[in-house]
Amino acid sequence: MKASRREFAKLVTASGIALSLSRLALANEPGFAARETLPGRQRWNPAATGAGRIDGVAKVTGAKLYASDFRAADLPGWPAHTAHAMLIRTANAMHIYEGVDLTRLSGALKPSVIVTAADLARIGARVPKFYTGDLFCPVGKTPLYLGQPAALLIYESFDAFDQARLALRNEALLKFGAETGPVVERDYGAFRFTRVAGATPDAPDVCSPVKDGWVSPGFFQDGGGPIWARLPVPTGAAYASAASYGEQIRAELDANAPSLLVLDREFETQSVDPMFLEPECGLAWYDADRKNLELVLGVQSPYDAATSVATLLGNARANFKPAHINAHFAYMGGGFGGRDHTPFPLYVALAAMFLRRPVRLAQDRYQQFQGGIKRHAFKIHTRIGVDRATGKISAFAADHVLDGGGLANYSASVAAVSANAAIGIYDVPKVDVTTVALHSRGVTAGSMRGYGTLQTMTALEVLIDEAASTLAIDPIEFRRRNALRTGGRTMAGNTYDVVVRTPEILDRLEQHAIWRHRAEEKARGRRAGSVVGTGVACVTKDYGSGADASLSLVEVDPEGRISIRCDHVEMGNGIGTALANRVAAHLGAVADEVAVAEVDRFGALGLVTTGDPYTMDQATQDAAQRNPRWVPAISSPTSSSIGAHVGTHSASEAARVIFRFGLWPAALELWGLAPTDPRAARWEAARWEQGRLTMPELRPLPLSEIAARAHARKGVTAAMAHSFSRWAWSKATFAIGGQAWTAEIDALAVRKGSGKFVRLDRADVKYPPTVFNRIGTSYTSLCGALVRVEIERATGALRIDRAYTVLECGRALTPEIVLGQAQGGFAMGVGYALLESLPLYEDGPGNGQWNLGQYLIARGSDLPLQGLEIEVLPPLPNDPPKGMAEVVMIPIVPALLNAIFDATGRRFQALPVTQQMLKGALT
Amino acid sequence: MTTVRMRINGRAYGPVTVRDELTMNDFLRERLGLTGTKFGCGAGQCLSCAVIIDDPDGTSHTSPTCIVPAASFNGKSIRTVEGHATNGELTALQRSFIDHFAFQCGYCTAGFLNEGQVLLERLAKTPVARADLEKTIADAFDGHLCRCTGYIKYHEAVRDVILADPGRYLT
Repeated sequence: MKASRREFAKLVTASGIALSLSRLALANEPGFAARETLPGRQRWNPAATGAGRIDGVAKVTGAKLYASDFRAADLPGWPAHTAHAMLIRTANAMHIYEGVDLTRLSGALKPSVIVTAADLARIGARVPKFYTGDLFCPVGKTPLYLGQPAALLIYESFDAFDQARLALRNEALLKFGAETGPVVERDYGAFRFTRVAGATPDAPDVCSPVKDGWVSPGFFQDGGGPIWARLPVPTGAAYASAASYGEQIRAELDANAPSLLVLDREFETQSVDPMFLEPECGLAWYDADRKNLELVLGVQSPYDAATSVATLLGNARANFKPAHINAHFAYMGGGFGGRDHTPFPLYVALAAMFLRRPVRLAQDRYQQFQGGIKRHAFKIHTRIGVDRATGKISAFAADHVLDGGGLANYSASVAAVSANAAIGIYDVPKVDVTTVALHSRGVTAGSMRGYGTLQTMTALEVLIDEAASTLAIDPIEFRRRNALRTGGRTMAGNTYDVVVRTPEILDRLEQHAIWRHRAEEKARGRRAGSVVGTGVACVTKDYGSGADASLSLVEVDPEGRISIRCDHVEMGNGIGTALANRVAAHLGAVADEVAVAEVDRFGALGLVTTGDPYTMDQATQDAAQRNPRWVPAISSPTSSSIGAHVGTHSASEAARVIFRFGLWPAALELWGLAPTDPRAARWEAARWEQGRLTMPELRPLPLSEIAARAHARKGVTAAMAHSFSRWAWSKATFAIGGQAWTAEIDALAVRKGSGKFVRLDRADVKYPPTVFNRIGTSYTSLCGALVRVEIERATGALRIDRAYTVLECGRALTPEIVLGQAQGGFAMGVGYALLESLPLYEDGPGNGQWNLGQYLIARGSDLPLQGLEIEVLPPLPNDPPKGMAEVVMIPIVPALLNAIFDATGRRFQALPVTQQMLKGALT
Repeated sequence: MTTVRMRINGRAYGPVTVRDELTMNDFLRERLGLTGTKFGCGAGQCLSCAVIIDDPDGTSHTSPTCIVPAASFNGKSIRTVEGHATNGELTALQRSFIDHFAFQCGYCTAGFLNEGQVLLERLAKTPVARADLEKTIADAFDGHLCRCTGYIKYHEAVRDVILADPGRYLT
């Protein structure tokens, strides 16, 4: 579930701005596009032999790759000089803002240009809906949140900029007047998810979100919060019905039935920073003569960034309205969700529009803490009822309150996703979860690895551990007894679309030495003067957002060299290598060139979109899909763990088309097989072995020979494809070479020989029905963890002695990257559980004083570098690639907390658990 | 203002005047265009900005550049990530980083590469016992922050270079 995105065609029409999202094409020397296409033709490609990533050489040689690496002089056609801009953000959200103290910006500190709210009003800038809120705090208003920008200062020279940023770091540049207290806004979103299962597993649900629709309370308190009680609101019948069932569930939990163990617990999670190592950065140039705005950005959501800038300037006065926006998207120095739909690109664009020469806006780490997207802090109140006789969970009720910070961003979506994750891997017949994301004066919270499920599943897995120990049931057996099986219904009321491998995961955990030897290790700790504990957790995490798009172009040249272009972005996740490997399965070789983060190379498809794929009704979709150019969404952010599943999907489909209609007919010719030969129809039986296409009793054919023949006979040598998934892939049929080709794509263009791309009209398109928007998730991966900790009694110092993670992710496209993601997820989980924390308000990052000195992330010495074992379950037959980048982080946190309980007897209900707290628990 | 000269990746730079407060990181990135050296925190905490300083006595060590003035590097000889490979030929450590998929986003890679290279050169002069190797690597890399990888593959990459030539690096 993600909030709606902009509508490309509508927006472009409305703004009158033409969007191009990649290249200048002016290069006589290596320009941006050449630098970002890796590894580059004729260059060493470590991925070709599985011995590295396609970006491997670039990253170990310091090649210009990230947005922060580029200056105007690096970009052919740009003026050589780069100016520098800085955002001045407010550290006060309790008083009326009275403006910039210009007397402090005299002499060397005087900028060439100052941009404020008044300037944006003057030029007619328009804030995109997703970023609603003043981009700059207007004079006379209390800032909406800590860290809200108040002014943009632009300096012509780096030296002037550098002197100014040093001088202004601790200067009170902004003036404030009367105290008002924080700005009060209504909540960002409130939902209630209530499910009552039928009497038997096969019976329909009595009530569920899938059956009855998603509901929100209709009334709101004066302070901005919802009223959860069942109220007779005129339009709230659906809500009243769900609330009625919900209240029954809560009443059962309150009834003190002796047969039922009821635990009633509070859990709090903290705000943290994604802490990607490259602070947000952008470079822009507005060429006023050509009315052309050039942007160089590093974001997870390139499509949103470009269209949001178009919205920002689409209604502006003539001399502030570009005719063209040409956006280039670079590799990123980390993302973790924190670069998905960030407002930063808007400020980069504004700097260029007001300066009209190349200008760079780069946050330092203090500014990144002050202005970057954060993970939501949660307050979670849970009640769980477990039948004492059977050890089965009978009912679950929870209330979640999220601190969304100053702007809405993804808060409503995070609230919904995290609520849908509230019962984790379990099969619970009665569930009632309310969730609300609140506005606050804190720094804006949004997408971050785990997307709310980290918080709610941590609270859950700690609670499960307590329930098991209270009932004296082995924690793994308790989980096994309650685990949702394949075919069982989630709390939204749907079944998963994948096999649920929880039993295997639990078996692996139970059999592992860390678990089997936990008693001996505890005793060893006692003898050594420390306390030792072992913890377990098992979670499931969705991959996909419920409306995900994939765009790719695959080409084979006459020499058999493969190139791939894709709209998904590289932030360390290895999407480029995954693309190359997935395509290689169809075309027999790893690509020589992979370009990611490209959105504008697909003009031949002529795609258009309207409406919001997350909320549209069936009639609207049915009407829209009659236009063969229409798709529900054109391009998606690289987020929600969709890289493998979605990001590579359209490339795989494009490669299949090339094989079937280009390489296979060429191979038949080379083998001398007539189309009537029975073997000619057995293209699916052909296998690539060491770069050669093989069929029994036929000469193995090298790709280069087949490619040359395919080009010569003008077969299909390139294809571009678009795919859309709403918890199921769209399907359509295309006429290619006189044959009907049905595939999980909704748009296709092919090139024959060295000709031009020709768009093929689809027939019989089948989009997933819009009722699927009621599904919480249907794609999910599982991960379990064991952690053994040893805590020094005297100091509370915790050492992770050994740990084991077992996960399943379907077919791993690049196993080494899966392993690396799991190791990194472990480290991030350790940081979240034990180290990282940001105060929400005046003492927090919004004050502009935070850096890595105070904010601690996991270092090597915090981790069991020789004691972490990771197991990836082999894929099931026909398993697709599944997302795994988020799920690997989540169980680490509750496993640590459960290990700490096992060691200390203290069940911590708030994060992080610091050394000081552990020391307190042991003395 | 200070006039500085230095050698960077074997090439002489300067004399050139720099403001006294200009950091070495900005000198490399903004004045020389050597953006392989990254900016991470500006507080000397993440070491993604670390470069190698080759001392006159033949030893080498790393230094952050984000909190150290360029003027402090006057007369020094340094190496950055751009200077490891020669004529397109990667070093053993660069290859090992690639072979092990040691990095993900790669933003911290320059710092780890420099630290690892210094470690290899130190061990070539002062080998350690195999039993002490893991701790030696951990001590060398600790303080370098990576948000993607969990550090394990970086450790494995440098360890494998050492173990591939035990006579050179181990007692």
